[in-house]
Amino acid sequence: MLTPQAKKRWIKFKALKRGYYSFILITVLIFLSLFAELIASNRPVVIHYNGELHFPTYGDILPGTSFGYDYQWEVNYKDLQKQFNLEDKGNWLIMPVIPFNPLESDFIEGEYPPYAPSIESKHYLGTDMAGRDITSRLIYGFRIAILFSLFLLAVTYIIGVFIGALMGYLGGTFDLVFQRLIEVLSNIPILYVIMIVASIVTPDFWTLVLLLAAFSWMGLTWYMRTETYRENSREYVMAARAIGASHSRIIFKHILPNSVSILVTFFPFSVVSGITSLTSLDYLGFGLPAPTPSWGELLQQGTANLEYQWIAISAVAALSFVLTLVTFIGEAIREAFDPKKYSYYE
Amino acid sequence: MQGYFTQRLLLTIPTFIGITLLVFTLTRLVPGGPIERMLAEAQLSSGETASSAEGFGSQSLSEDQLDQLKAYYGFDKPIITSYLEWLWKVLQLDLGESTRYGESVWDSIIERLPVSIFYGVTTMILTYLICIPLGIFKALKHGAPFDHASSAFIFISYAIPGYVIGIACVSFFAANLEWFPLGGFVSDEFEELTLWEKIKDLLHHAFLPLIAYMAGSLAVMTFMMKNALMENLSADYIRTATAKGLSFSSAIKKHALRNSLIPLATHFGQNISVILSGSFLIEKIFNIDGIGLLGYEALVERDYPVVMGILVISAVLYLIGNILSDICVAWADPRIRFGEAK
Repeated sequence: MLTPQAKKRWIKFKALKRGYYSFILITVLIFLSLFAELIASNRPVVIHYNGELHFPTYGDILPGTSFGYDYQWEVNYKDLQKQFNLEDKGNWLIMPVIPFNPLESDFIEGEYPPYAPSIESKHYLGTDMAGRDITSRLIYGFRIAILFSLFLLAVTYIIGVFIGALMGYLGGTFDLVFQRLIEVLSNIPILYVIMIVASIVTPDFWTLVLLLAAFSWMGLTWYMRTETYRENSREYVMAARAIGASHSRIIFKHILPNSVSILVTFFPFSVVSGITSLTSLDYLGFGLPAPTPSWGELLQQGTANLEYQWIAISAVAALSFVLTLVTFIGEAIREAFDPKKYSYYE
Repeated sequence: MQGYFTQRLLLTIPTFIGITLLVFTLTRLVPGGPIERMLAEAQLSSGETASSAEGFGSQSLSEDQLDQLKAYYGFDKPIITSYLEWLWKVLQLDLGESTRYGESVWDSIIERLPVSIFYGVTTMILTYLICIPLGIFKALKHGAPFDHASSAFIFISYAIPGYVIGIACVSFFAANLEWFPLGGFVSDEFEELTLWEKIKDLLHHAFLPLIAYMAGSLAVMTFMMKNALMENLSADYIRTATAKGLSFSSAIKKHALRNSLIPLATHFGQNISVILSGSFLIEKIFNIDGIGLLGYEALVERDYPVVMGILVISAVLYLIGNILSDICVAWADPRIRFGEAK
């Protein structure tokens, strides 16, 4: 499946330990975050009640009546757990490691939030100003941020590759017009535009993806254009043209596979910029609407309330950790794709 | 060469128009523009004195007055007409008045200019002072433990956005350890201090923001320097130079170094716009009253003349910076001849 060249690069990438282990770690983290409901939720993973097993994480809510309470709304699992322990009838339930939903405010009697980190209250990183568990919000915030940047990446790559290839392939007026357009778009402060648009409509996940994509496809387009331009003058393209291959066939079957390596080296850095953009927008309050769990929103709470240090520290640490991992991967990929070997003449 | 730069200069005009027209149009599409904001404010203040029973539903201004107000701010014409009027004013160096304070946009920008220039220039000088030696050292010691350790550190500073580093610095060094002030450009009693105390006070306030500012460009510049030097070191002309009997160190000094500075020269022009506009996120965190913060506040308050004014300045600087980069490159590398037939 892999071409010999790709195989060689993969082997070189694996030899770069810092990047390779970062890659494994981030893949595991993304995979785990897809099942965040089993790690951080106020619903138990498993309930054993009167000889029956329930898995309330996914699926419909279980009303109070199914556990012998007299209410129709969702059963309070914390009460249920206490009751199970009191009754000692062989009923049990297993709560997730972090027994809090990211949107749920926990109130400890006689105290006002935010609560400091404590193992006893199971708020391992404390709570934010509204009493919501920080660990839980970090986990869900990670999932949203990483999915956001992956979708953003997909959209920008599709636009960038398409327009870049056309610019390089067609040249002429098309090239010139888009050169100007790119210059205009890359000079516009993107945060300005998003802040202005955010005052018209409250942006949701997809609006933000499209909006950011509209202003960040240019970087890749530029490289893609150069690459296409170069490949276009190669003999194999000329040969393809000579035997009568159509334009789209030349672009998609010949030029694109040969310029794909440049796209791969940009991959991790696009993820970093996606996460960074979303976080700064959320930080300023122009990102995803509250109460979406978000790292930027935690950063904002942290800076507004410096006396509750655990808020800022958790958010900064989580963000730094993930961004550093992704950058390490990017650096390793870049090195693996770099055919240059430096030699000295000392 | 001259022809090339004239052409470049002329090409900035459509770009400038494109940038300003796009943002201008956007500001016009926003409901709740300056007029609405002023009305709401007027109603709030009149509501305190008169009965507030009128509420927001009824207009306290007559239609006539409203039209007058709109005409005054140029909101009564179609977008293109008012854009052209605005552009004509800009060409006469008139950026208009802030809808918030009634102050001239020029004045509010010039007032904040010293702060932004201070941070911009200091950051740039410090970055060059650190990056060039560090890059050279890393290139010469490529693969050594120091190279690996410093690379890891530089990557981390590159990965984390400057303002997040700023937040980390504020919460740790300022709020927790109280080594540095929480923000601001200078202390309140700055005027009463002696010159020596003034410098100390300024640096005391500037230390953390400068770290945040430098974090991002540090990585880019250091690696640019390192890679360029390494590429030159393995080039044939260095081999020739050493073969002739030149020592390796003077081959670096006399030949490789100058060639390696070219990419840094290219980068120089792009710094110009950063020098002046700064980063409003960092300015917001450290509460520095620079141009970045001015633009941000104007955006939040929908004070669009100020937004457009800052956009004009940053766009012009960016476009000039690009051309300046080319000039720097031509100056640093006599081999490069722009615009001449191959």
